[in-house]
Amino acid sequence: MGERSGVTVPVVARPGAPAPAGTPPGRTRTSSGAQTFARAWAKAVAGTSYLPLTQAQLEALLHGFTVRLAAALLAEPLDLRTGQRIGAELVAAHVASAEGLGRTAEVLQLRLVRDLGLVGEDVEDRMARLLGAVATGYARALRDRTLDEQESIRRAAMAARTQAERALRESEARFRHQATHDSLTGLPNRTLFTERLAAAVNAPGRGAERVGLCFLDLDRFKVVNDAHGHQVGDALLGAVGDRLRRALDGHLVARLGGDEFVVLVERSAGTRDMIEVAEVALAAVREPAPVDGHELTVTASLGIVERQVAGASPGDLMRAADSTLHWAKAAGGGRWELYDAERDRRELARYALSAAIPAALERGEFYLDYQPLTSLRDGRVVGAEALVRWRHPELGVLRPDSFIALAEESGLIVPLGGWVLAEACREAERWAATSADAPFVSVNLAVRQVHRPGLVQQVRDLLDRTNLPPRRLQLEITESTMMSTAEEPVRALRHLAELGVRIAIDDFGTGYCNLAYLRELPVTELKVAGEFVAGLRAPGGRADERILASLVSLAHALDLTVTAEGVETAGQAERLRAIGCDAGQGWHFGRPEPADRLLARLT
Amino acid sequence: MRALRRPEWAPDGIDIERPSVARMYDYYLGGSHNFAADRAAAQAMVAAIPEAPLMAQANRAFLRRAVQFLAGQGIRQFLDIGSGIPTVGNVHEIAQRLVPDARVVYVDVDPVAVAHSRELLDSDESTVVVQEDLRHPERILGHPEVRRLIDFDQPVAVLVVAVLHFVSDDDRPAELLRTLRDALAPGSALVLSQASDDGRPDAERAEAEAVYRRTDNPLWIRSRRELAAFFDGFTLVEPGVVWVPQWRPESPDSAEDAERSGFIGGLGWLGG
Repeated sequence: MGERSGVTVPVVARPGAPAPAGTPPGRTRTSSGAQTFARAWAKAVAGTSYLPLTQAQLEALLHGFTVRLAAALLAEPLDLRTGQRIGAELVAAHVASAEGLGRTAEVLQLRLVRDLGLVGEDVEDRMARLLGAVATGYARALRDRTLDEQESIRRAAMAARTQAERALRESEARFRHQATHDSLTGLPNRTLFTERLAAAVNAPGRGAERVGLCFLDLDRFKVVNDAHGHQVGDALLGAVGDRLRRALDGHLVARLGGDEFVVLVERSAGTRDMIEVAEVALAAVREPAPVDGHELTVTASLGIVERQVAGASPGDLMRAADSTLHWAKAAGGGRWELYDAERDRRELARYALSAAIPAALERGEFYLDYQPLTSLRDGRVVGAEALVRWRHPELGVLRPDSFIALAEESGLIVPLGGWVLAEACREAERWAATSADAPFVSVNLAVRQVHRPGLVQQVRDLLDRTNLPPRRLQLEITESTMMSTAEEPVRALRHLAELGVRIAIDDFGTGYCNLAYLRELPVTELKVAGEFVAGLRAPGGRADERILASLVSLAHALDLTVTAEGVETAGQAERLRAIGCDAGQGWHFGRPEPADRLLARLT
Repeated sequence: MRALRRPEWAPDGIDIERPSVARMYDYYLGGSHNFAADRAAAQAMVAAIPEAPLMAQANRAFLRRAVQFLAGQGIRQFLDIGSGIPTVGNVHEIAQRLVPDARVVYVDVDPVAVAHSRELLDSDESTVVVQEDLRHPERILGHPEVRRLIDFDQPVAVLVVAVLHFVSDDDRPAELLRTLRDALAPGSALVLSQASDDGRPDAERAEAEAVYRRTDNPLWIRSRRELAAFFDGFTLVEPGVVWVPQWRPESPDSAEDAERSGFIGGLGWLGG
């Protein structure tokens, strides 16, 4: 628009109109009139709206309009289109406000004809119509512009809202991903795995199908962390996760935490399928992994559970897979194990039994039987071994072999063993009434009991409380008790021996056959395991007899007495007596029996 | 002020029922890029301060003259923070008329202003629009789009025009500007303008503040001395911090009654 400013179009006056003085006929006054008018117009509209123009640029623009308007005013016939066009162009040039139009109308009406010296009989008439056309064009353009701007701002608001919603969705998706994936390996985490497992198990109509799980855990992963640091450990987990994902494409591989991974086989055709998956997973883990300059080789243990969907629950499946994983671990690792419901039941039962021990102690469900230790020289009962029984409310009477190992694993052997010791001492004290040379009571001590710091004090208190003379208490320990190099147990046993308590080595000859401890320990008796005695019956039992004979002479050389366990026949008893064995224990001499029966036997 | 309360990941809501300062400014300039709520607030502002539209125009004219001045001095990169609704006389239009390869980054916190700018500038390779807040200059400077377009080893003109009166002293505007300054190469420039009430009736100020309390951006009026302090590290060009019509006017009479503009502004160079 501005480029027109330099052009001065001669305005042709209407025929017959008097030309201003000094101008050639047929023309209006020169362009100086248009300049004057344009300057007045620019001044009138200045400040009515923001114009990205300098005052000079505005004047140049309006000068162009002035010239065109003058030409339109005088054109024959009157050209109203020019008026409308100029109205629109004013708006396009941002002279776009109500005030801008008002002042434009005012200045055109007042000054255009006068400043440019336009003459004609109907010039006023024409001016009014031209002004109307300018206003029309201006108003229409302003309205169009307003509508356009309104539309564009609404579109922008919509775009902004869409953008905001997309960002929200993305952040939700990101959060969902973060909440369901493990950040270290990028694998699905326990949450997502649990969801997928539940979906696989609970999907309607899947009852007849089969589902499988592999729980996998790296063997001795802690060693990697300890030896190379957690960064290397983490990198190794990342590498293992990567490989499992690639090797088991199509199955859900998740990290449950730590070095535990799981594979979900949503549609299994049977254990054969699962074993294949397990082999692939174990092989993927086994491959040496270059991590941070180290070539690491790890193995994994894996538990497989596979079953029909009907009746399965996610919780049971996971627990079963976890148990099975521990079987694989317990078997040495680097292998898979298949879930065995029978084995699981047994273990659960063992667990339940173990868990019931404290309450059973409190309710007095344990009691003691006593088995005599009989002199092979004169048939006198020299002692009795206390044997614990559990009168279980549901399972009936349980023998020690069904719960002592459990108690040892859980540590419950300490309170249970303490109870046995106290009860045995209390009982044995009663035997003093039977003779001046009443038998001692022999009580088994578990490894943990011997290793506990308070043992000596505990025994001393018991003896005090029950008035049982120390020499009438014998503590049976196994050879394995002495495997530890700790000094504390040895010192404790020495203290006990100094009190006068008898110390017997139980199951002698079957365990840790290092005889050095016999030099260190204040042992009074060896109890020879029943299996040597059993050999005495057999035709080829010569070797056992010789071993027994050697043990007896060894023991006697060390001033120890020898009791043979598991003596079942008179023949065995006779042979043992011939060998020089001091005492015997076994069915031949008497089964374990209640204290009263033993007492009866003594009197 | 809005982004501070929401968690980092939650995008701002788009609430066209709440007046936006960017759209109110557009209304003062005679634009129609605004909604009923914006117009109602702007009309209340005009009722309080009848010159409000003139103030906006004067400020816009100051921006134009400043950009022309900078382009004339060879500046080719512009960072316009608080650019608002793109309307008549945008920075890239002014700058590119003088420097055709001028690059312009528009930054605004208002999502609608940003969306509108994007639509307008979609095909323009030498401009980019970023939704960010002046109160997080490190995010503006680190924004990948900003870094893509602007080479901070070369002079950059940072324009913070008609924005600082929306930044409270609690937001430590001087520190924000220092962060920006520290990212600039020697030869860069800073243009500031903001509302000022030196010599205006207190009643007007109170009413204006009441209007802007309805927006997300309450008003912080500052004096010439306070604004001049924000040019710390820059050398102000003549005539310093003045009423915006007085800043290098195109004709002497356009600087008359300059204090009616309600805006003070200035331009400073970063020395080498």
